[in-house]
Amino acid sequence: MQSVLEFKNISKYFPGVKALDNICFKAYGGEVLAFLGENGAGKSTLLKVLNGDYQPTKGEYLLDGQQKHFHSPHEAIQEGISVIYQERQILLELSVAENIYLGRMPANKLGVIDKGKANRMAQEIIQDFGLPISPATKVKDLSIAYQQMVEIMKAYSRDNLKVICFDEPTASLSDAEIDSLFAVIAKLKAQGKIIIYVSHRMKEIQQIADKVAIFKDGRYVDTVVTKEVPEQQMIKMMVGRDLGDIFKNLDRNKKTGDVLLEVKGVSSDYVKENSFTLRKGEVLGFSGLVGAGRTELMRAIIGADRMKSGEVYLEGKKIVNRSPKEAMDNGIVLVPEDRKMQGILSNLSVAGNINIALMDQNANRLGIISSHKEELAAEKGIADFKVKTPSPDKKIVELSGGNQQKCIVARGIGTNPKVLILDEPTKGIDVGAKSEFYNMICEFAKQGLGVILISSEMPEVIGLSDRILVMKSLRIVGEVAREEATEDKLLSLGMMGEE
Amino acid sequence: MSNIENKKEKKSILDIIGGDKLILIAAIIIVFALFTFLNKNFLTWTNMVNLMVAASLVGLVAVGHTYLIIAGQNDLSPGSLAAFCGTLAALLLSKDVPLFIAILIVLAAGVAVGLFNAWMVNKIKLEAFIATLVTQNIIRGFAYIICDGKPVSISNKAYLAIGKARFLTIPVSVWLMIIAFVVFGFILSKTKFGRSVYAIGGSKEAARLAGLNPQRIISVCFIIIGVLTALGGIVFSSRMNSGQPAANVNLEFDAITAVILGGVSFAGGVGDMFGTILGVILIQAFNTGLIMVNVSTFWQYVARGALLLFALTSDYIRKQRREKELLEASMRNIK
Repeated sequence: MQSVLEFKNISKYFPGVKALDNICFKAYGGEVLAFLGENGAGKSTLLKVLNGDYQPTKGEYLLDGQQKHFHSPHEAIQEGISVIYQERQILLELSVAENIYLGRMPANKLGVIDKGKANRMAQEIIQDFGLPISPATKVKDLSIAYQQMVEIMKAYSRDNLKVICFDEPTASLSDAEIDSLFAVIAKLKAQGKIIIYVSHRMKEIQQIADKVAIFKDGRYVDTVVTKEVPEQQMIKMMVGRDLGDIFKNLDRNKKTGDVLLEVKGVSSDYVKENSFTLRKGEVLGFSGLVGAGRTELMRAIIGADRMKSGEVYLEGKKIVNRSPKEAMDNGIVLVPEDRKMQGILSNLSVAGNINIALMDQNANRLGIISSHKEELAAEKGIADFKVKTPSPDKKIVELSGGNQQKCIVARGIGTNPKVLILDEPTKGIDVGAKSEFYNMICEFAKQGLGVILISSEMPEVIGLSDRILVMKSLRIVGEVAREEATEDKLLSLGMMGEE
Repeated sequence: MSNIENKKEKKSILDIIGGDKLILIAAIIIVFALFTFLNKNFLTWTNMVNLMVAASLVGLVAVGHTYLIIAGQNDLSPGSLAAFCGTLAALLLSKDVPLFIAILIVLAAGVAVGLFNAWMVNKIKLEAFIATLVTQNIIRGFAYIICDGKPVSISNKAYLAIGKARFLTIPVSVWLMIIAFVVFGFILSKTKFGRSVYAIGGSKEAARLAGLNPQRIISVCFIIIGVLTALGGIVFSSRMNSGQPAANVNLEFDAITAVILGGVSFAGGVGDMFGTILGVILIQAFNTGLIMVNVSTFWQYVARGALLLFALTSDYIRKQRREKELLEASMRNIK
């Protein structure tokens, strides 16, 4: 009998986010179903609901007609539902066999573990997979690809395995390793398992997936048969609207002014020496892979991390930022990448969040804050940036991600900066709010601000920036003018350091 | 401006005081009624004054804990520090150090201990709980060392007046507590510093990126509790006519219980001074009441532990409820 996994009206809310919205669809045994969607579309959240890491706010799911409800991933694994994550969830100090049989090692009647038996059982699985490793090897001595294989074998070793999900499994694998992973997936498929495969890489999806389920902004769009629908159309379904048009219609700043910011040989514990300049009214994009050092460079410039070498000049004058506060007083503000942990103050209201950087303006010499000035500043921020909130006194976490981000931008702009650094400003916010941010960025440039835009979304960097700097391995490796920028060019610079 | 609807919504008393505070006030009334029922002398003017005098030391320390716990920190050293300060004051006076200088030295000791705690937390990156446990033991040790383990009696009349004199029929020690509540309550709710304390209690890194200096704010909070504890030590030794190195054990326990009962969240970032005032009243009524109805000292320990457990449980329930309300609010706000 073919296994069936059915999602019925699954919704998941977090404070400020509707991560999943009424998800309904089915996945079948003996098929590889790929999840396709942008960052924040809800793919990973759905996997976490499936394996009991999250509880759905509404809805349920059925495996072979039976309603399932797990309180933890552990429970899900015992019932035959495993998720293989990008970050390995194995114990490096234990052997391959010990990891595979973790928590259920074969033992004799006295409870003494029988390592030999575990190794023999593990050896059988390793042979099934056709891998050249020994069950007694410590996992930390294996390559990352094999570590992942151990994780898959762990799931495979359970007799009742029905559903196995892969969340971006190939992110750090070589081509040969990907091939052996796909061989294993083909084997699991032949055994009739339900296989869910989450990836951003279209090429892989074409290669391995029978069907593709498309997600957009927390909603399930459709499931298509991979071979029947061209790639371009899938992408269009997942993006929903053509972002190209948004960028084409942007009213960008045409003329940039004098050099505003000059960064010379700045390094820190986390980033090597880097130099660049930024002009008035310019949007300077920063492209590169995650971990290339873009965020770290900005943190060094604003004094969030200690600067080890280098100099920063603002309007020709040398400035020293020993803390974000000093950078702010000098006219440089950062809107951080990690909105939840580094951007918002989750215990404060919308007004409190906007005003926290404006206390010097709102208080008298004794440090007593004028509630009148605070009200005005909050109302101005809310109006200027069209923050949708029932009242300034609402807790900021009650707002949607996009509106929270607007508050953080309002906070920064309230300090009248000359340089605004936006680190992944549209991460995890919906398309509508994204285009609002794009207009906002153009507006800042027109007002003469220098804007630094770090973004991993290629169309965004290309569509908004006057120039794009590409970073790789903690260093700026190239500069691309707007007219010459293509996704391929930025990607190859970011990965290889050359075109 | 259509984004800001019903901005000027009418506020009821419930909104201003908050439902949690009303529950706390109800609890205070119940505790008072219960002890009055068990002992007619409980609700008398004399006993109420005694209760407030007894509360003054806990109250001063609780003011400091309000700041620290909102900032996401904690302090286990006040009990030792109060005993040390009382003993130090007695010792200085016995060596004929002028009163004013003696008090200044004692308060400076409070500042020094606060700075030491802040240094451990900020620079050695110790958890405040562990760091101040270190201080608790070191300072208790020094309290014994400086007096050779023996209480030091005090004869300076002016000093003794601090704990005993009255102004407008209310003892000076109680006035000190009231002034601390008012002044530090104002600073907490109305000033840049107060706002910063809430901000770093929410998220230290976000607050730093928003232009605050968390380490400095934490240092000031530790200094505040150090000075207030030193002041409390002075008041206590004045009342006892002597500096007692073994005194004030579990002072921090009562202060923390009061603060958490008053609605400050152990997780940081939430709470206010009014809640602490109510918490101090509740815990002192509870402690005094237990003595007056002849509950044995051993059982008093159990009762205090139970009260802290109750406070922490209600903190947990409040937190769960806040999270649930947030989720419901976002479900309304996000279509």
